Amino acid sequence: MKEKTQVSDIDRSLYDFRYEEDERDYLGSGITPEIIKEISEEKNDPEWMREFRLRSLEIYNKTPMVDWGPSIEELDVDNIVTYIRQKSRMNTDWDDVPDDIKNTFERLGIPQAERESLAGVGAQYDSELVYHNVRKEVAESGVVYTDLESAMHDEKYADIIKEHFMKLVPPTDHKFAALHGAVWSGGSFVYVPAGVHLDIPLQSYFRLNAKGAGQFEHTLIILEENSYLHFIEGCSAPKYYEAGLHAGCVELFVGKGASLRYSTIENWSKNMFNLNTKRAIVSEGGKIEWVSGSFGSHVSYLYPMSILNGKGARAEFTGITFAGEGQNLDTGAKIVHNAPDTSSYMNTKSISKSGGISTFRSSVTVNEKAVGSKSSVSCESLMLDGISRSDTIPAMDIRTDKCDIGHEAKIGRISDEAVFYLMSRGLSEEEAKAMIVRGFADNVSKELPLEYAVEMNNLIGLEMKGSIG
Amino acid sequence: MTKLNKLPAPTYGWLGVNYAERELSDNKAELVSVSEGSLVKADITSDARYELSAQENKELTVIMYISDEDKRVDVSAKAESGSKLTVVQVFDKGARTAAQLTADIADSAELRLIQLYIGGADTVSEINPVLSGYSSSFKADIGYLLEGEDKLDINLIADHKGRKSISEINVSGVLADTSDKTFKGTIDFKNGASGAKGAEKEDVLLLSEKVRNKTVPLILCAEEDVEGSHGASIGRINEEHIFYMQSRGIPEDKIYELTARSKTDRIIKLIGDEETVSRINKTLGRSDDDE
Repeated sequence: MKEKTQVSDIDRSLYDFRYEEDERDYLGSGITPEIIKEISEEKNDPEWMREFRLRSLEIYNKTPMVDWGPSIEELDVDNIVTYIRQKSRMNTDWDDVPDDIKNTFERLGIPQAERESLAGVGAQYDSELVYHNVRKEVAESGVVYTDLESAMHDEKYADIIKEHFMKLVPPTDHKFAALHGAVWSGGSFVYVPAGVHLDIPLQSYFRLNAKGAGQFEHTLIILEENSYLHFIEGCSAPKYYEAGLHAGCVELFVGKGASLRYSTIENWSKNMFNLNTKRAIVSEGGKIEWVSGSFGSHVSYLYPMSILNGKGARAEFTGITFAGEGQNLDTGAKIVHNAPDTSSYMNTKSISKSGGISTFRSSVTVNEKAVGSKSSVSCESLMLDGISRSDTIPAMDIRTDKCDIGHEAKIGRISDEAVFYLMSRGLSEEEAKAMIVRGFADNVSKELPLEYAVEMNNLIGLEMKGSIG
Repeated sequence: MTKLNKLPAPTYGWLGVNYAERELSDNKAELVSVSEGSLVKADITSDARYELSAQENKELTVIMYISDEDKRVDVSAKAESGSKLTVVQVFDKGARTAAQLTADIADSAELRLIQLYIGGADTVSEINPVLSGYSSSFKADIGYLLEGEDKLDINLIADHKGRKSISEINVSGVLADTSDKTFKGTIDFKNGASGAKGAEKEDVLLLSEKVRNKTVPLILCAEEDVEGSHGASIGRINEEHIFYMQSRGIPEDKIYELTARSKTDRIIKLIGDEETVSRINKTLGRSDDDE
């Protein structure tokens, strides 16, 4: 009997280790005003934030669940632990981080990456940041990279936080944005002054170790005029049988002529519901580049949104999604053209295998003011077997005639003709198919930071067996 | 209000494309069955219900000219094995219509659909061919020319169930003034439709800064061995094209007129029937000899 080419599932052994949590560190599960007040007290929130949390809770209770996308019926939010007390204060010296937490990040390679290739690192373990550090020369250039809560309590930044926090993603945006507003904890604050160009990236890594818990970190990045930043975000969790929830929020403010590259490798375990919200607003001549790899989680709803608000602002989105057994990954991007001469480019690839469901979902909105705007969307999907599913759901809403909008999408399997050609050049059938799959993901993987690109190549390992049919 | 034109896989609610809402009364028209004769024409000015059937290895062409306000037109079609069923539907200016066309296409049968929406004050049109047979095919050419406050919502869902079934959907149109159009086109490859192919394309020319265009091209896929593609191009005429035409001595306003006209002419030429073409030309204020 002939065997088909097998593309292996992602090897998660690197991420599937965990340390036992002391349950006394948990606040109760569920979303009640009492829990919210307790979180607020624990964090010593300023009064405006305490009120914000309670108002968000009201919105959460009034807002219906989404009525599109993958089912989240298995997610019982009332049983999710929304906050886990900090085991130690936030540290700037790696040696001061508690051993079990330190070991976790050592195994994930975070300190090594900091030493070798990063300008600064933040590490969040469950609900709180445990480590934040930035290179001396970077700090001296005026760049602020710290945890959001410290910034909120620092009089130098308190007003900036109040002015920007959940202004791009208001709690009324959707039910899980409201939940985030009520229970958020941890996350990073980055401020890049005008004209500062950070040549090496900053990275935040989010690790959810606790069973049946949620992670609700908030990332706020502000780039002043003509500055540049590459920010890398990594996420992982060990696998449990209980559902976990990630409902983080990312708000990016890109100033005039500034440029921000935001790279994410999401590798949550397959019990996680990843309901994350990311949004960027870009001023005149500014640019946002999203590079997104979605490999983990049980269910994902993830569509980074770019609002091009200034003349000539640009957005690029490059994404890859790999859905294997038990995964339903609904990913894509949203672009809003709100000013003249704005441009956007979206390029995505998705792979489905072993019963996995991959959905590309996008929207491009071109408003009346966005005359002279251009947008191009390209998405390709590859089905590796007959038990998986791959859907493409793009939408374009155009409200001006002076624009140029293009869209193309393709779905299919590995082409027999391409295999035949490569075999005629001396490759075996197995090698030919492996090369085609790698090539399919190549233009996305080359946009990833090098260490992540290598990791991705390892993740999409190929096993070739016997004759292929 | 009744929800019509439901998107088979709903998306972000704020886009307003998941369904269209209209007040709808029951279609009480008597059912008309058509299964014989190679060419049948129908002039539809009130509610209508049709049952079309192209018999095995036979050809049937039905031309429907739909005019006047407020009506429902429900068509249920069947293309038996080896047959070819051609359905032409012209929606005349000012026709406020809730139209539905469902079809079942058997082994080696073909459904050819040609639709032209001239205006369509407020038209909702759903088209749902089911390619259930081996090597069944569906080819659609759809054109629209909207102006004033015209509003059009089209929801086309091609369900591929049969092995080696083929669908090809070509849509092109022109939006002027404050017209508002939504085209939702879905190619749905069901599990088992191995060897199926589906392609969809929409080309929209925008002629006013107050138009509203929504394009939602879906591919749903539960089968490995398929090929699906969709493309969309929306905007004004590209500058190189304008420059070329101007260099040939054609003024800019004429360039737009000619390009807009080419979008509808492509569909009109496919209709073929002289009487119908003449009626369309009259509506468009053209003479039959216009080139």
